[in-house]
Amino acid sequence: MMPEKNPKTYWKSLSQPCGAAPSPPVAGDEFPESHEPARQEVRRRDFLAAAGFALGGVALGGCRRTPVEKAIPYLVQPEAIVPGRAVHYASTCGACSAGCGLLVKNRDGRAIKLEGNDLHPVSRGGVCAVGQASILGLYDNRRLRHPLRGGEPATWDEVDADISPLLDAIRTGGGSVRFLSGPITSPTKRRVIQTFLGRFDDGKHVSYETLSTAAIHQAHERTHGRRALPRYLFEEADVIVGFDADFLGTWIAPVAFTAGWSDRRKVEQAADDFSYHAQFEGRVSVTGTKADRRIRIAPSELGAVVNHLASTLAARAGVSFDSGQQTPLPIDEHVLEEVSAHLWRSRGKSLVVCGSQDVDVQVLCNFINETLGNYGRTLDISQPAATGGDGDGAVQSLMQELASGRVDALFLDNFNPVYDLPNGAAFATAMGKVGLIVSFADRLTETSEQARYVCPDHHYLESWGDVSLGNAVVGFRQPVMRPLFDTRSCLESLTRWSGTTTTAQDLVRQTWGDRVSWDRAIHDGFASVSEEPARATTFRADAVSAVPTPDELSADAFALVLYPKVAMLDGRVASNPWLHEMPDPVTKVVWDNYASLSPAAAQRLGVTDGDLVSVRHSPEGGTATSIELPALVQPGQHDRVVAIALGYGHAQSARFADVGPEWLEKKPTLGPNGLVGMRAAGLLTYQKGTLQLSGASVTVSPTGGKHELASTQDYHNIEVPAALVIPGMDRRRPMIRETTLASYKRDGSLPVLGHGTHHEDLGDLWPDDHKYEGHHWGMVVDLAACTGCSACVVSCQIENNIPVVGRDEVRRKRIMHWLRVDRYYSETDGEVDISHQPVMCQHCDHAPCETVCPVLATVHGEEGLNQQAYNRCVGTRYCANNCPYKTRRFNWFEYAREDKLANMALNPDITVRTRGVMEKCSFCVQRIEEARIAAKRLGRPIADGDVRPACQQSCPAGAIVFGDMNDPKSAVSKLIRSGRHYRMLEETNVKPSVGYLGLVRNRKEDEDHQHHG
Amino acid sequence: MLTRESRSQSVTIVLAIGAVFSLATLVARLGAFHLPGNHQGYAPEQPIAFSHRLHAGELLIDCLYCHHGAETSRHAGIPAGSICMNCHSIVTDTLGSVRAEDERAEEEQRKPRRMVSAELQKLYDALAVDEEMKPIPGRTPRSIEWIKVHNLPDFTFFSHAAHVPTGVACERCHGAVETMERVRQVEDLSMGWCVNCHRSVNRIGVGGRAVDASLDCAACHY
Repeated sequence: MMPEKNPKTYWKSLSQPCGAAPSPPVAGDEFPESHEPARQEVRRRDFLAAAGFALGGVALGGCRRTPVEKAIPYLVQPEAIVPGRAVHYASTCGACSAGCGLLVKNRDGRAIKLEGNDLHPVSRGGVCAVGQASILGLYDNRRLRHPLRGGEPATWDEVDADISPLLDAIRTGGGSVRFLSGPITSPTKRRVIQTFLGRFDDGKHVSYETLSTAAIHQAHERTHGRRALPRYLFEEADVIVGFDADFLGTWIAPVAFTAGWSDRRKVEQAADDFSYHAQFEGRVSVTGTKADRRIRIAPSELGAVVNHLASTLAARAGVSFDSGQQTPLPIDEHVLEEVSAHLWRSRGKSLVVCGSQDVDVQVLCNFINETLGNYGRTLDISQPAATGGDGDGAVQSLMQELASGRVDALFLDNFNPVYDLPNGAAFATAMGKVGLIVSFADRLTETSEQARYVCPDHHYLESWGDVSLGNAVVGFRQPVMRPLFDTRSCLESLTRWSGTTTTAQDLVRQTWGDRVSWDRAIHDGFASVSEEPARATTFRADAVSAVPTPDELSADAFALVLYPKVAMLDGRVASNPWLHEMPDPVTKVVWDNYASLSPAAAQRLGVTDGDLVSVRHSPEGGTATSIELPALVQPGQHDRVVAIALGYGHAQSARFADVGPEWLEKKPTLGPNGLVGMRAAGLLTYQKGTLQLSGASVTVSPTGGKHELASTQDYHNIEVPAALVIPGMDRRRPMIRETTLASYKRDGSLPVLGHGTHHEDLGDLWPDDHKYEGHHWGMVVDLAACTGCSACVVSCQIENNIPVVGRDEVRRKRIMHWLRVDRYYSETDGEVDISHQPVMCQHCDHAPCETVCPVLATVHGEEGLNQQAYNRCVGTRYCANNCPYKTRRFNWFEYAREDKLANMALNPDITVRTRGVMEKCSFCVQRIEEARIAAKRLGRPIADGDVRPACQQSCPAGAIVFGDMNDPKSAVSKLIRSGRHYRMLEETNVKPSVGYLGLVRNRKEDEDHQHHG
Repeated sequence: MLTRESRSQSVTIVLAIGAVFSLATLVARLGAFHLPGNHQGYAPEQPIAFSHRLHAGELLIDCLYCHHGAETSRHAGIPAGSICMNCHSIVTDTLGSVRAEDERAEEEQRKPRRMVSAELQKLYDALAVDEEMKPIPGRTPRSIEWIKVHNLPDFTFFSHAAHVPTGVACERCHGAVETMERVRQVEDLSMGWCVNCHRSVNRIGVGGRAVDASLDCAACHY
């Protein structure tokens, strides 16, 4: 038996960093507001007895037929549709340009859920939170229901009759036409735009993106002669080094990257191929939290580190590299040595990715990958996806053109440059000089308001389309339902104005012709295009040079890092309440952005969470910009970095003024500016022609104001209550268990827990009276694979009709998510480690909630489910109080909204809960029942994999596995037998059905010991 | 502030009001007393006086011919107009009426007219078709809005597909529909009624086959 070791200590937030410190009263209690003494003159019982009797009488008197319900059948029944039965259509996600494969669940003619397409070669079954939530965009009551002309409703015929002659006049007059869009990954759309613009003497397409990858495109133009974005194959990489690239969170195609990355992080399948992942970054990204080694560097130090790494590797490879005037290495030499040794050992099987927008740095990264022989193995430039790559400066040149009045017509795709661009206001002014502005926006935004004609495009779920995915794979999009409103595909509008009337479907079909088998491609949602030839490229060594040393930050300045939040990206989804209410994976803050500062920086400035600070950027020779934001103290962040999320302060977020229940003490969800958060786009800068998200030098000063952030980090605490602490025992419990790869390989088990934390022989409070003769459902969550990305949280919310409650209710700990992802901090050698742990109802075999329910609303099922019958619940909340995992949620109000359109996204199989009812994770019992009914019909038992809860279905990392624990061959049973398997709060003997696989980091074992000592 | 005395007085008043209401209700509705939510005996008038007695009873058309969703879906489904038209594009009136017209036509030595019953005319109006079953230009078809007879509360999940393929006969829950001129809710569709059946089939099976009818709350409530 191994000696017992004190386990690593974990804490949830800075308010409880050192074990014994008592948490604030708010954090400790399940229902913080229930302690107020009731002021009652008539005794409560008297009143209830009398009122109940009287009410009963009145209710009986009022008994009558419920309102008449109608059943309206089809007139002509479509063949494939049976009312009440879901149909799934394959399509391609349109929430960002990654193009993940979807299976859209359609019930009775409307799309209600997006699931990942398991067969899809790129996304492989995962869907991120933003993708999941994009279905709500379909049922958004702010969508335009018809075209607009001068702000007034018009018909398509009227709009066409206006626009066509105007365009003819421009054409004959040799005028200039511009089409401004985001990055276009659709070959058909690109073709249609080119055809449309080709009719004019001076027609030009300009694209841009706030989350730009222009530097990567340009670097490859220099080193490979090809302006393109490589395909990154994380599944092939033994060693991954990330420089400021949040590839598991928001960078390029996070779902595909997470799938590849997690392939090599599942110890059970890949103990010998477990990857090593080092991350260099200034803020704390989702990717950084999962790295085996995370190195804090300021943005200004990035160039120097890459320089040093390049010269070290060049020396090892015997390649010449002029490192120029080397700046001193800003980090520990041993760390760089470790990273470069790992890379060198795994040459050809390593991958260096960089999120920087500095072309010189990107060129060096290309050089590193080339030196290591990674091209063609872990990253591939021979068959890249077709993306834009106009460079970030193009939109600025366009703006000058617009301002000069030389442009006759401007066409705007469905996006919002007035919000996105740092000088958006100037763009709006410049737009005023254009004679004809046509927008394809699906709603009125800062930009589309200025357009004379708004020709709303379909939602992507109502459209035909295609997405180039690289590697000769194309994703296809088909309409999954009839368009809700009088909208028209942008493709059709453009062809109509080019004088033809081809449908969008035919346009897409024409693009691919015989190169794909059409029916098959639409059925699968993707196809391989055999005839797209790979193009060999050669590396141009002469393009490589050392990165010039950037200016030092002045002593009191901070380096600004602007970043896309996992749920908000660049603000394109700012009208989506689900995403505003999704706790950020790292900070756990909802409904706000903020200025993240490291604890040391916060101390230096004398600020703490929620203190307002002014972040001011005054470029040389330019006008100063400043924004005021609440501070957030973020352990693990670089001391010289202030990080601010983009995408907030969006005009679209003004609509959330009425989110949440109306009551006397309601506090607003919106900030003082009448919006959610602050717009940070004004702080974006251009440098050497590329849009810079990080690196600008800013000053940060407290303003003395306060803005309380709503953060879920302290909620649902599972520590031992103060009154019950056994002397000598820690209040914290080992929720997260962690080991290093080396010690796990040696021991095949997790480190044994320390003294006083396990009580296996304390005996049972409950008799073993459940037999579980049929199925016994269980779940295992792999903490090594889980990235905390929270796709599961949003997936669960949509599947189970979980309401949005608003910022104030979250602040009152009333967030309704059935599945939360707990984040823990711990420390290794002075560096902060962050761990994520998804926690849902644990479906205990000996569930403490069941024993205390006075009305038997929560009872144990034959198959181990802990069931909640809403119609039986009277809302005593005893169960929540008695739940050791704090997974039960109470409906303090009638949270469901009377938004008829948004309610079309509700899952018709799930009850919409009313006020006063307790709810919680059901293990997606509706999916179990669906599988059971289907299996019954086929006369076979439910097979392993037939039931996949919503969280498991959309997990890009495949970290969640559900199944029958009675079946020894099921995937879940196999994982339960793993040496990493443990159950949370095992010592309470409640026998949860959910287990976890311990976190594994690929570190040297001695580090492990060092820490534990 | 209320004193102890005035409090008991107010309680008495409230109790008295309650008692009067309850008594009045009980007396008034003693004959047809149902617990709230129980709609046993509900037989609403339908937009078309469709007769199950004729179709299912006399003509012996299988239930699943029209309600074909019952085997695969949660809902049995109300047949689409197109399913009615499988027969009613030819059969437009009762046999008696057609024969009478034939006789009249023979007497008057003319071609018999096509007879269309008043109820079927409603179907053709909904589909916007003329006597020759051709669409009438300029008329939009309109769905028929049937009144749902068997309603379960929203917090209850029921699936026909879980019951019909296991061999549970339609009339087990819906009664002798083939004798009904207008459909009536026969059973009370209460939870107790559901559970009693689930218990008994676990003992005796359905049609001689053993079944596993769940007694879990979450079999129906989620």
